[in-house]
Amino acid sequence: MTRISGWEKALRYLLMLAVLGITVGPFLWQLSTSFKGASEDIYTYPPGFLPEHPTLGNYSGVADIIPVWDYALNSLKVALTNVVTNLVGASLAGYALARLRFRGRRLAGLAFVVALLVPLESVVIAQFTMMRDLHLNNTLTAVVLPGAVGALNVLLMRNAFANLPYEIEEAAVIDGANVWQRFLRIALPSVRGTLAVVAIFSFMGAWDDFLWPLIVLSDSDHFTLTVGLNYLHGTFQQNPRLVAAGTIVAVAPLIVLFACLQRYFFRGVGEGAVKG
Amino acid sequence: MPRSRRTAAAAPLLASALLLTACGSGGGSDGGAADGKAAGSITFQTWNLRSNFKDYFEGLVGEFEKQNPDVKVKWLDQPADNYAEKLSADAGGGTLPDVVNVSPDLSYPLAKAGILLNLDREKAAAKFKDEYTPEAWQGNTLPGLDGSYAFPWYLNTGPLFYNKALFRQAGLDPEKPPKNYDELFTTADALAKRSGGRTATLAGTPSIEDFGRYGVRLMNADATKFTYNEPKGVELLTKYKELYAHGGLDSQALTNTADQSGQKFLEQKVAINPGSAHDLDTFKKNAPGLYKELGITDAPNNTGKPNMYVMGLAVNKQSKHKAAAVALAHFITDRKNQEDFAHKVAVFPSTKGSLDDPYWTKDDGTDEGRVRVASAKMLKGAVNYTPVVLSEEMKVVLKNEVAKALQGRKSPQQALDDAVAQSDKLLKQS
Repeated sequence: MTRISGWEKALRYLLMLAVLGITVGPFLWQLSTSFKGASEDIYTYPPGFLPEHPTLGNYSGVADIIPVWDYALNSLKVALTNVVTNLVGASLAGYALARLRFRGRRLAGLAFVVALLVPLESVVIAQFTMMRDLHLNNTLTAVVLPGAVGALNVLLMRNAFANLPYEIEEAAVIDGANVWQRFLRIALPSVRGTLAVVAIFSFMGAWDDFLWPLIVLSDSDHFTLTVGLNYLHGTFQQNPRLVAAGTIVAVAPLIVLFACLQRYFFRGVGEGAVKG
Repeated sequence: MPRSRRTAAAAPLLASALLLTACGSGGGSDGGAADGKAAGSITFQTWNLRSNFKDYFEGLVGEFEKQNPDVKVKWLDQPADNYAEKLSADAGGGTLPDVVNVSPDLSYPLAKAGILLNLDREKAAAKFKDEYTPEAWQGNTLPGLDGSYAFPWYLNTGPLFYNKALFRQAGLDPEKPPKNYDELFTTADALAKRSGGRTATLAGTPSIEDFGRYGVRLMNADATKFTYNEPKGVELLTKYKELYAHGGLDSQALTNTADQSGQKFLEQKVAINPGSAHDLDTFKKNAPGLYKELGITDAPNNTGKPNMYVMGLAVNKQSKHKAAAVALAHFITDRKNQEDFAHKVAVFPSTKGSLDDPYWTKDDGTDEGRVRVASAKMLKGAVNYTPVVLSEEMKVVLKNEVAKALQGRKSPQQALDDAVAQSDKLLKQS
C-alpha cells in the first residue's frame, strides 16, 4: 500500500465527517428537541442543538398521553416472535433451497424472488380479510403472521448456505450424518453472521412496521409502539418535543440491538453477498 | 385540516381494492332497523382525538350509556396517519365500526360502495336534519349519491397568519396586511424585492382550495368534470408563476406539503400562511418568538365565501344495531355536546344557532377570542371548496402540473388542461 499524502487524508476525513453529519445530524436534532423546555423556539435557523432549559418532562409527557410501556411491550413481543420465526423458517427454507435436490427447486427459488416484488399495499386487504376469516383480527398473532418468514431472509440464508464448500458436507455424509445433523451441526454454525443479519432485519422490520399493524389492530390496547406513537400527532396541536421524545423511545432498542450484534452483522453482510 | 391532505401513495391501490371487494359482497346484509329502540353493543370510532380528549370522550360515552341503558358503546380512536387505508380495509373486511368519524372525501368512497347509511333516506336520521346549519348538512351531501351520509360534526376554518417582524424588515407596514388577492401578490413582490429574495411570502403552490377561494369554478354542476382550467384558473396560476419567478414563493414550494408549509412559517422563513383557528395554540407552544410577532387577518377570497373543513359522523349501513348507532351519532353531534367540544379546542359547532352564542360573537380581548370570533363570523356562508370526488391521486396530479407550470416547462393553460384531463379520466374510472 502506498502512503497517502496529508492532503488526501484530510480530504478523506472531511468527506467522512460530512457524511457523518448528514446521517447523524437529524437524529441529534431529534434528541436535543426531546430535551427542550416549553419556552424555547424549536424551529430556529440555524438549528440550536443545545437545549437552553433541558428537561425530562417531555418523556413523562409521552407516558401521560399514551401507555408507552404497554405499547413497547407489545412491540417487543411482536419483534421477538418475528425474529424467532424468521430465524427458524428462513434457515430451514434456505437450506432446502441451497442443498436439497427436489423437483421444482428452481421454481421454488423463483417464487421467493417474485414474492419480493409484491408491494404490501396491494395485498393488504386480502391479508386483512384472511385474518378476519381466521378470527385473528385485532390480535398480535395477526400482526406477526404475514411477516413470519420473510422472502428476503430466505434468499439471504439460501445464498449463505450455497456458499459453504460442498466438501465439508460430503465429508459429513461419509461419516454417516443425515440431513438434519448436517444442517444443525455443520451448516448452521457456519452462517452465524447471516443469522445475525436476519435477526436484525426481522427485528427492525417488525419494530418499525406501521401500515399492517394499524390496519389489523383496532383496539388501542393492542397497539404496537409505532402505531401508538402516532397519537402524539394530535389533530389540533403538534408538540414536536413530545414527538421527538417518542421517537427516541422507539429508536433506543434498535440502537442497543445493533450495538450488541454489530460484530456479527458486518461479518454476515460480507458472507452472503459477493462470494460465489 | 392539514393531516387529511397527506398524500399516501397507497391510497389509489387500496381504493380500487375496496371497490373490488365491495362489488363482490355488495348489497349484502343491511343490518338491523334504524327506527325502534336503541339497544345492543356498538363501536364508535374517532380520528386521532384520543391524545387530548380521552377523558372527554370516555365521559361522553358514559353519559350516553346512562341515558340508554340498553346500549353498550365501545370507543375506538385511530391514529392520524393512513386513516383512509384503515377505513377501506375495514370496509372491505366488513369490520367497519357502527359509528365512524369521516370527512366528506373519506365518506365518498365508502358511500359509493354502499356501506354508509343515507341519512336523508332514513326517516329515523332525517328528522334531525333541522338541528344543523344548512351549510354543514350540505357539506356532507355527496354528489351523485343522492343524500347526506354523515351527521355534521365540528367545523374548521381560520384566518391568514402573517409575521410582523418579516414585514417590518422589508419596510412594509406590519399593521397593513393584504386584504385581497391583488394586495397579496403586490405584498409578496415587495417582500421579495426588498429583502433581496431572502424572505418568501408563501410556502406552497396553489391547492384546489386556493383555486376555489380565487373564484375559479372547480367542477361542473353534476360533479362529473373538472373545470378549473377556465380562464380564471389560468389567471391565478399565471400570477403564481410570476411570484415564483420573483422569489415570492419558498424555494421548496413545489414539493412542500401543507404540513411542511406550516413548518416553514414556524421557522419564520415565510411571511404568510393560511391556517386554522387552533393553530394559535401551536404557535404559542412551539414558536414563542413568532407568537410575539404574529399578525392575524381575514383570509382573502374573491367569492365572498370563505373555505371551511367539515367533519362528520357516519353510520354503518351494515350495523346490527342501527337504531343505537343513529342515536349515538346524533347524541355526539347534538347542540350541547358540540358546543362543549368547541369550548375545549378552537373548532366550531355545526348546530343551528350555536354560533350566535356570545362565546362566538363577543371578542374577550385575548388573541384566542379575536381569532375565534373572526373565524365564527367567516363560517356563515362558508363552503367546503374541496370537491369530495377529488381523490388524493387527483390532488397529486394538480400539484405536479402546477409545478411544471411554475418551472416554465409548460404554459399555465397547458398545465391546467393536462391536470383536468388526467383527473377527468381518473374520475371516470372510479
